[in-house]
Amino acid sequence: MRIEVLEVLENHFGKDKDITAESHLMDDLGGDEFDIVDVFVQIESKLGISIPEEETFDIMTVSALCEVVERHVGSD
Amino acid sequence: MLGQIKLVLFFLFLSSIGGALWYVQHLKAENEILTLNNEKLNGAVEQQQAVIEQQLRDIETKTQLNKQLNENNAKLSADLQLANEKFNKVNASGERRDIGNLAIAKPKSIERIEGKREKQRARCFEIAQGSPLTEEELNATKKSQINAECTNIANPNYIPY
Repeated sequence: MRIEVLEVLENHFGKDKDITAESHLMDDLGGDEFDIVDVFVQIESKLGISIPEEETFDIMTVSALCEVVERHVGSD
Repeated sequence: MLGQIKLVLFFLFLSSIGGALWYVQHLKAENEILTLNNEKLNGAVEQQQAVIEQQLRDIETKTQLNKQLNENNAKLSADLQLANEKFNKVNASGERRDIGNLAIAKPKSIERIEGKREKQRARCFEIAQGSPLTEEELNATKKSQINAECTNIANPNYIPY
């Protein structure tokens, strides 16, 4: 699952970015709020899951993003 | 006869003295009037100079304000350009962002972002109209801390990366 998330992030922000668990989606990867929503839509599509929007609010780091996704992989 | 001539000469002498005295008094009176007029004119000149100096100061102030407004306008135009680009942003894979599709897929998230942006836009107008920047705005150096709608005027210490 983390590999798929990483793939989405690399495709979205660029493979040249050093993406780690601590990476901040805005401050380190250069995204804006719309990018974060876009990333969630892409992850949902790639993994065939659905994440309630309320759970995605205020997600700012890769680790927080992975945690949210992890909770829904397999449960959907 | 000689006595009559002396009397006439005496009256002429008295008349001359009287005329001279009258003339001197008249000149003094005129001189006083001219002096008063001169003082009034000097006062008027000073007032005019004060008015001209004030007008020059006003012109300087207006020029400064105009310059500041032009600078703010240029910054706002740059921010408007950036705002337009946000709606057509292309990601690293070359895919163009479609805010409409995102709004259909995640309406609450987009509404929340737009609500935040609306507040930021209102703040932009305040700043453009002369509101001083807050400490938070001045100290913003990270993307997550900035006013995304008018970064150029709201966050002077932010360097895009």
